[in-house]
Amino acid sequence: MSFDLANNGNDKEDRKYYDRNKGDDLQISRTDMNMLIMNYLVTEGFKEAALKFQQEAGLQEPALCSSLDERIMIREAVQTGRIPDAIAMVNALHPELLDNDRYLYFHLQQLQLLELIRGGRAEEALAFASATLAEAGANDRNALTELERSLALLAFPDPHASPFADLLLPSHSQKIASELNAAILKMENQEYTNPKLCSLLRMILWSQNELDKHNIKYPKMTDLANATIEKPKHGRRL
Amino acid sequence: MQQLTVFMDIESSRSYIDELYSPDAAKVVEALVTLKNSVIGSNRQKSSVIQQGVVPRLLQLMSDESLDPNIRLEATITIGSLAKGTAENVSSLVEQGTASALVELLKTSPIGTKLTEAGLCALRSVFMHPPAPIASLPADMRLLTRLTQIAREGSPTARACVVRILSIWCCGAGEQEALCAANACSAAAALLGATPAASTALPALDLLAAMCFENANVSQIALSTRYGDKPIPELLTTLVCRDKPLAVAMGAARCLTFMHRAGALPADDNRVVFGALPCLARLCTKEMPEDIRASAAETLAYLAEVDTSLQRLAAISNHLMTSLADIVNCQSPAAKQGAFKCFASLGANDEDIRKRIIETHGLMVHVVNGMNNPEASVRLAAVRCLHSLSRSVQQLRTTFQDHAVWKPLMQLLNDSPGTELLTVGSSTLCNLLLEFSPAKEPMLDQGAVEMLCSLTKRPEAALRLNGIWALMNMAFQAEQKVKQRILCCLGTEQMFRLLGDSDTQVIMKTLGLLRNLLSTRHHIDAIMSEYSSQVMQAVIVVLEGSYPAEVKEQALCILGNIGDGEKAKDLIMANEDVLRKLVDYLVQASEQSWGPTSTEYVSRAIQWAIDEAAEGAPGEQAAGGGAVRGGQPGVARRGGRGRAAGAPRGPRRAARAQAAARKARRRASARQSEDGSGSV
Repeated sequence: MSFDLANNGNDKEDRKYYDRNKGDDLQISRTDMNMLIMNYLVTEGFKEAALKFQQEAGLQEPALCSSLDERIMIREAVQTGRIPDAIAMVNALHPELLDNDRYLYFHLQQLQLLELIRGGRAEEALAFASATLAEAGANDRNALTELERSLALLAFPDPHASPFADLLLPSHSQKIASELNAAILKMENQEYTNPKLCSLLRMILWSQNELDKHNIKYPKMTDLANATIEKPKHGRRL
Repeated sequence: MQQLTVFMDIESSRSYIDELYSPDAAKVVEALVTLKNSVIGSNRQKSSVIQQGVVPRLLQLMSDESLDPNIRLEATITIGSLAKGTAENVSSLVEQGTASALVELLKTSPIGTKLTEAGLCALRSVFMHPPAPIASLPADMRLLTRLTQIAREGSPTARACVVRILSIWCCGAGEQEALCAANACSAAAALLGATPAASTALPALDLLAAMCFENANVSQIALSTRYGDKPIPELLTTLVCRDKPLAVAMGAARCLTFMHRAGALPADDNRVVFGALPCLARLCTKEMPEDIRASAAETLAYLAEVDTSLQRLAAISNHLMTSLADIVNCQSPAAKQGAFKCFASLGANDEDIRKRIIETHGLMVHVVNGMNNPEASVRLAAVRCLHSLSRSVQQLRTTFQDHAVWKPLMQLLNDSPGTELLTVGSSTLCNLLLEFSPAKEPMLDQGAVEMLCSLTKRPEAALRLNGIWALMNMAFQAEQKVKQRILCCLGTEQMFRLLGDSDTQVIMKTLGLLRNLLSTRHHIDAIMSEYSSQVMQAVIVVLEGSYPAEVKEQALCILGNIGDGEKAKDLIMANEDVLRKLVDYLVQASEQSWGPTSTEYVSRAIQWAIDEAAEGAPGEQAAGGGAVRGGQPGVARRGGRGRAAGAPRGPRRAARAQAAARKARRRASARQSEDGSGSV
């Protein structure tokens, strides 16, 4: 009782914020969570994981789109550096895609260039860049900057230790693979080309941004991956 | 070097091009796939392949029905990729007969196959490059029916392609009717109805708009075409909502606009008033991207061009005026011209709106700048806007004068402009030359008379009309030297030519010019002393010719004016022909062989002419009798205007005529026996 009284003032203040350690009226059903995860697996093309998850979570047969198998193979090809294969598969699946989205095509070719650089085949890399990538670079400012960054890797004895080493990380090819995946889904008139989980996280970032703009103090999620929430420092309250 | 196959230069891989001609089907397919992968994504490769003359072989592989379907498919896809290259690439493809070959392919290939889809994609790419090879797609009923069937039943990609192709193809009344007969309306409705994605809804909206544009028949059919239980206007109304993508909302509002202007939806229809109009006003606001704002402003201009209630409504919708004033500042010519056109429509009929346009948004500076814009379409739109605003008496005397708008206008008109600009510009001139316009004097100095006289010699009736009308306005209550200059510059020969014009309006205005020239006693005597025989001849020509009553009325009014001259009236008295004619008319009039109103006017005019001539009343009294005289021409003028309003050649002209009639009535009491200088 006395504890309650002592903390009364503080308590009131804290109530204004959502306390994630407390149970409350905002129930989120398990099915909703599962559906979000399933949506993530399907749109990102994790087919086996999706099927496994469906079994374990006891979900209904997921609506796998027709191109799921192809998309998985294309993603694999991109992430393992078999770019010509990936391009050939995309062309077989959607012949108009890479003609319509030249920037995406450039990104695939850039990956190819990076593969050559990674393999230390500088001569070939230069020949390849001037034969194919130069065209995209001449038409698009963004592409030109990215091309320059990629070719700059050649100037370093150890590209992995250069300022542009990020291009050689797997995360770069993963990013392009997702870009390609989204483009294919868009081509197939899918409603959402990005996983819905992705949009939810975006929404959090957006609202935090808006709050920051108005200089409002609130418990901020600083690390999305772990959902870490930092308490607000003193300031204007919500 | 294995990995390099995809991006190898075409020159270094001559071998697989040779394989295209191999008898071995498997080798051909392989070569085609390699070729395809090398051209996709690279314009350089496309140009190189086309230069090497591979296209005819590809077309052959595509069209040969005896070949392996895979070969045909890959060849078609490769052609499709080539068609996504540069403009030169596409035109060289078309020259080599690609469009016709694709159309032939579509005639036979089964619906729902990949080959059909690839063919449609390729044809769409070809059509998307202007100028589209429209002639390669004949208006053949069987083919069109087949295409609309694909638009209803094909794969989503095939449907979107077909509808896009048809929307580009449909550019005339013949195509509109043919498509309508091939059931394209219901195909479009189906694409709009079933929760459409933007990629299929957009071409469907474009097709619908292209079919309904200025076509009452097709619009009427579209009005009653249903998908499920919803007719097309309902479907469109759901698409103009805020939650739809901007381009879709824009397209739907354009369709509703076109259906309204083609007469299928009345101006007070909810789908226009609460659907298209607010949507367009919203799309003009600051938050929207520039290209959407540009087309929204232009569409809104078309929507509100004629109907005054829509103009009033638009003017108070969603701060439209502020949005438009902001669009005028955009860089792109399309946006500028859209905004000017929209201002022109808003201010077409309502004086209050005109006032608000000018006063609240300081538009005049922009209009003057617009008239000097390097882009012809912007100049035209700026002049349109100026024309609309020039209908305001107040603005003519104030803002127009402050900004000396006549200067850039005269410059534009003297700078050998296109017919359209000349028409709108000369209409504006008519208004600037009204007797109360301060711009009249400086324009005379700038050679307006000479320019207008040359306009009366143009082959286009509208230009002749504007020229003679402006001259008529100029002559109204003008000084004698101005009148002399007009007569001298126009020449009596040209005047006779105009009296024989095929357009009655031109004849009316020519006679009106004569009336205005022949006013004020000593002007009459001065002019008649020089041109008596020609003027009398002109009057006799009109009185004896087979002209409508209103034209003869004008001639009689001229006689009346002549009768007011000191010496000039002797000319009438001496002319047996004229006197006999007058008596004839009186008899005819009493028998009421003409319409009751014309009879009244004509008989009054005759009475008056005879009174003037016979009485020979002293000058003072004649002038004192101005009240009587003033009444008569007032009546005559109103009659003339009334008829002009009753028989409009276009809605715009009707609006002009109404405005002119209003003005004429307002000033009627102050008039001499002159044809009023009406605003256009």
